[in-house]
Amino acid sequence: MKVSLEVPCSKLSLAIIREYVRERLRSLNVSGKTADQIILATDEACSNCIIHQHQCDIYATIELYIYREDTTLYVEIKDTGKAFPLDSYQPKEIPQIVSSGQKGGLGIRLIQTLMDEIKIEERQDFFVYKLGKHLPLIN
Amino acid sequence: MEIRQTEEDHFITLQPKGELDANSSVQLDSVIRKLVDAGKVNIHVDFGGISYISSAGMGVFISYLEEIQALNGKIVLSHMSESVYDVFDLLGLNQLISIVSDLQAAKKEFVV
Repeated sequence: MKVSLEVPCSKLSLAIIREYVRERLRSLNVSGKTADQIILATDEACSNCIIHQHQCDIYATIELYIYREDTTLYVEIKDTGKAFPLDSYQPKEIPQIVSSGQKGGLGIRLIQTLMDEIKIEERQDFFVYKLGKHLPLIN
Repeated sequence: MEIRQTEEDHFITLQPKGELDANSSVQLDSVIRKLVDAGKVNIHVDFGGISYISSAGMGVFISYLEEIQALNGKIVLSHMSESVYDVFDLLGLNQLISIVSDLQAAKKEFVV
């Protein structure tokens, strides 16, 4: 059975997304710090889609699908917007962000730090961010 | 997001409650902006009611660091849960912002 979540591109959807990821991880026996890290990375990737790709257009939607393959947990985010190069983007260094006084710029760095695999699969009408996290043996 | 505000002798304590994400951080940013514009640049944020923080939440504090330092002020964070502290630690932001255990420790940070 495929369990997925589709939400409008509103910042209000972020809390719903986090709760969905938390529940799915629980059902897939992923908990503790690993779960916290996956929830945060997913929040960051979805925020990027919602705010930067769709400018919070509530008529647009993104779809999440979470599954486990052996010792890797995957989060797939399906979006119809323009794909942002999450996998190859070089975020600014922290001192640069501090001196510029900007509020953004930390999210991509977090995703790249927290996740072990970041792929973008482009299709004709949509693309998928595929984020993978290698699970510790205890999970 | 509920943000309680208390004025002490020479600093302000903010007590936000909930999850600090791209949605709620806008409100916290607005509160801090008003304080800074009013010249209240010694700001203590009690994280006791914060169960989650994303980059947007951390970005609020980072964005004020230089401005507040230039005004001889300081931002001090306290009562942080382990999971929230881990996020600051992950990016090394705990080296840039004062993070202390409790109100007493925060008060010491503001001693002139």
